[in-house]
Amino acid sequence: MPSAGIMTETFVSAAELMARVLGAEDYPFAVIEHPISSADQAALAARAERAAADCARLLLGADG
Amino acid sequence: MPLASRRYEVADMMAAQEFYHSRGWTDGLPVVPPTDEAVEACLEWAGLPPAHLVGVEPVRARAVTAEKLAINAVMAGCLPMHFPVVVAAFTAMLQEPFLLHGATASTGGCAVLVVVNGPIAAEIGMDATFNALASSDRASTVVGRALRLCLINMMDVRPGAIDRSVLGHPGKISYCVAEDEAGSEWLPLAEERGMPVGASCVTVMAAGAPRQLMNEWTTVPEEILDTFASEIRANMRHYSIWPGNYAIVVPPQLRAHFHAAGWSKADVRAYVFEKARILRSEWADCGKGAVVRDRGGWEYSALSAAEDLLVIAAGGPAGGFGAVIPPWLGPKSRAVTVAIGACVDCEIP
Repeated sequence: MPSAGIMTETFVSAAELMARVLGAEDYPFAVIEHPISSADQAALAARAERAAADCARLLLGADG
Repeated sequence: MPLASRRYEVADMMAAQEFYHSRGWTDGLPVVPPTDEAVEACLEWAGLPPAHLVGVEPVRARAVTAEKLAINAVMAGCLPMHFPVVVAAFTAMLQEPFLLHGATASTGGCAVLVVVNGPIAAEIGMDATFNALASSDRASTVVGRALRLCLINMMDVRPGAIDRSVLGHPGKISYCVAEDEAGSEWLPLAEERGMPVGASCVTVMAAGAPRQLMNEWTTVPEEILDTFASEIRANMRHYSIWPGNYAIVVPPQLRAHFHAAGWSKADVRAYVFEKARILRSEWADCGKGAVVRDRGGWEYSALSAAEDLLVIAAGGPAGGFGAVIPPWLGPKSRAVTVAIGACVDCEIP
């Protein structure tokens, strides 16, 4: 199933580790600014915009 | 007994310590070198072949064998007689409702609380009285530590690797307690959770640090429990509002008042279930007003059902103290109870 993961910057190393131990080294994912829970609406919208573009690339490939 | 694990040669005991520390194979404390003889003695005591599959960690599909558990148990200081408790506790931790990966990886930084019931507690020298929650005796300390070393060495649960705890708490070194069955008129925890009468059992819970309380100015059960419920509400206000398994530890001085009044553990649970509730609006009192929104009138219970409260009889004889042990994060991880030395999947002939 096509999928795209999104991690905050602080969890990049955790995501890379989990990918490695699950046998999917270099599994790509989108990265957004940390944290989420205290971000206001504008900051969340900016993160979402960035994540949406990155996720589209992950799902559709580099050429879209 | 053929062991499969790789052997390492070191010059002496001190060299062994530095070797283990340099590899990141300890919790920072010295370890007992897991020689073939010591590991085999644990396996023989438990009646388990080295390759016995204790379970499989569900998220990462990582197999856990008796040999690997025994190695870490020896390193933690376990004697062979302690090993069956380690096996049972890890078996319980591998059950899906416990959510081992989440509970050990989370930023929330919980520990694995182990409660031991039944005759094995006395047989291996566990002391449920003085200093019950911290280094009360050799068995409690090494069993709890063995589980942490198993997580470190078998599951990569190292700080900054799988373990993403922001703070953690001292229970992550060892968090094991026996229930004071001999000193209590209450049913043992494991029996209340459906295990056979007189069986030796362990219960594991993904648990925060104990929150100590005191009320020695009343003998009224309701008032004593109001103090416990108030501490639970404080946890809901300051930490997490979601319901889950809470544990309360009730030492003898307070327990005597419940026994005198004829209150069972079920009575205690029923009362706390009704009283441990907060309104979402209370979050505004402690700096969390941003998430109250239009839901201020919503009521939240600490327990989804009265049975979610684990009532544990333990502690030293003098002092009107008690403790509330909160869950890691609401209902995500459930407490699990298993019998020691029993195959729950085996059919009895």
